[in-house]
Amino acid sequence: MKDSGNRFVMPALVLLSLVTIYPIIYVFYLSLHRRLLIFDISRFVGIDNYIFLFKDDRFWNALKNTVYFTTLSVSLELILGLAIAMLLNKSFRFKGVARALVLIPWAIPTVVSARMWEWIYNTDFGILNYLIGAKINWLGSPFWAINAAVFMDAWKTTPFVVILLMAGLQVIPLELYQAARIDGANAWQIFRRVTLPLLKPVILVVLIFRTLDAFRVFDAIYVLTGGGPANTTETLSIYAYKVLFQTLQFGYGSTLSVVVFLCTGAISIFYIRLLSRGMR
Amino acid sequence: MAAKTTAIILAVLLSFYSTGCVQKDKGKNEAVLVFKHGKIAGDPDLFKQLLERFEKENPDVKVKDETLPASTDEQHQFYAINLEGKSSDFDVLSMDVIWVPEFARAGWLRDISHLLPETERAEFFPGPIQAVTYNSRVYAIPWYIDAGLLYYRKDLLRNYGFSPPKTWQELVSTAQYITAREKDLYGFIWQGKQYEGLVCNVLEYFWSNGGDVVRDGKSVINSPQNIESLKFMQELIVKYKITPPLVTTAIEEPTRHIFGNGRALFMRNWPYAWNIFERDGSPVKGKVGVTTLPSFPNKDSASTLGGWQLGINKYSKNPEAAERLIRFLTSPEPQKILALTVGYKPTRKSLYKDKDLIREQPFIAGLYDVFMKARPRPVTPYYMMITQVMQPEFSAALTGIKTPEEALASAHKQIGHIMKVER
Repeated sequence: MKDSGNRFVMPALVLLSLVTIYPIIYVFYLSLHRRLLIFDISRFVGIDNYIFLFKDDRFWNALKNTVYFTTLSVSLELILGLAIAMLLNKSFRFKGVARALVLIPWAIPTVVSARMWEWIYNTDFGILNYLIGAKINWLGSPFWAINAAVFMDAWKTTPFVVILLMAGLQVIPLELYQAARIDGANAWQIFRRVTLPLLKPVILVVLIFRTLDAFRVFDAIYVLTGGGPANTTETLSIYAYKVLFQTLQFGYGSTLSVVVFLCTGAISIFYIRLLSRGMR
Repeated sequence: MAAKTTAIILAVLLSFYSTGCVQKDKGKNEAVLVFKHGKIAGDPDLFKQLLERFEKENPDVKVKDETLPASTDEQHQFYAINLEGKSSDFDVLSMDVIWVPEFARAGWLRDISHLLPETERAEFFPGPIQAVTYNSRVYAIPWYIDAGLLYYRKDLLRNYGFSPPKTWQELVSTAQYITAREKDLYGFIWQGKQYEGLVCNVLEYFWSNGGDVVRDGKSVINSPQNIESLKFMQELIVKYKITPPLVTTAIEEPTRHIFGNGRALFMRNWPYAWNIFERDGSPVKGKVGVTTLPSFPNKDSASTLGGWQLGINKYSKNPEAAERLIRFLTSPEPQKILALTVGYKPTRKSLYKDKDLIREQPFIAGLYDVFMKARPRPVTPYYMMITQVMQPEFSAALTGIKTPEEALASAHKQIGHIMKVER
């Protein structure tokens, strides 16, 4: 019985390894080569690319930007998402409409929303500067640009967090809240001792999704700033894209991709461990 | 009902029969050319008509034109991936001016030097010819041309008694004088976001000060002239204050909007903006003038060359027919038609004296001097790598993260490293 099960799984396994495992191995293989399409150079260089990467300022800068972006945007999204989910979980009139409205930013394609925000952030006729009555060069100043990208990402993906957390909130039995209230717990205590612990597995799932997505961020920032000014918003994925597809250095570009892969792998393992501990 | 069905079946059979016949006759020696290009401006039918005309003149060739995504980055990526894979799915490709040496070095393009002998080369503007020549061989034919221009408000200059500036210093003093007396008017706007357009802008200052990026295969980007030029650009923002800081995020369209709403005195942009300014309802209609970009004292003005070139895929199965197609599209008559209908600027000098063009598109005809001064960005297969170094360094200098000296010293080091790639 067990054997036949394995046989049925085989086609799916073969397909999966063709489309995921083979490219992963090939990228790793490429990362050990000096391969420049234009100059017809292709030779094995061992870990030279990794040594170069270690000394590459642009890589460290991109890593720093990526970590900054990920930490800030994910925390912001979690806090905002939790607050909005709690609000929407209350019953009030037009609850359905409100829930639908919250979803809109998430439903807009990333490239479209990035273009939209590019105009919102425009110094001269952007609505943001109009509303706050200032002339801030949002995307042109090294300080604001990355934070502007974080803010756009928070606007765009908080709805995703809201949806997942709302689902989590809905499965918490009402009796627990009632019992807590009868025991004389105040709102903060209920949130801290009842809601939060029961929501923990969902929060971890949200964190896995969001951290991995944010760490690999490409399109939103690429469209918004192109990595500028002066690479202050260049993330690892953008750097890898430029090396791979604009300058066609397949060897070093693959090295960068491998590093992104290792980072996201480490992040997933960290979260999955947390999650399995939380389940126990 | 039955009769109708029979009729349909009969018609279908007949059509099979007849097309079958035609294909049998022609199938053997009819070449199908696939022509890849970016979106053609204006009415697509006009371009189709041009291709039909070629088919009529060359009954043994059929042309299938296929449009690539609008972004040039994606087009570059498409070509690189397919040509590296030795794809013969397309024969003729239209290329941005900066790709030709790169593609030629990679061995992806057919050498078509025989299509452009010396006498024929003299018919074209010098800039594009330089851009399609790599190691003294020609790999593409210039199709249409573009170059940086200075737009100015002729009404304002006239009111205050100024003439269009010849030097950058004149531009600064004119702009300072007029903006001090006009409300809500920027002096001079250009494109300063970290992207290819920034490089186009900066090179115009380098060249108009006698500087350059690469000379004899070596980086000369940290020359005193270049440092002076880059410093001047930064000073336009922070010292002379005629350029608003918003240029550090600006690409072509936002600057075109600002100027088009009458909110700037001078603007550096490409020729495309002109038609938009002259449309009915445009706030600056009839108030805009264009001229060559200014230069530093006693130096020559220069503008960055843009535009597209036609080349042939090395792996094409119909190279001879492909040669006929690019020859046709770059010949005087079709270039003239494209200029009159969709406003593509011809690469042949003689067309700028053409009566029809002067009458129908006086603006284009007036750009002759600008195009004569248009210079290609460094013609080297390393260009795509070099620009990846220049973009962030220029951006750093403009936003004040680095001094111009630091930025150019760092760029010099990196470009030197890149140029050693082959060794």
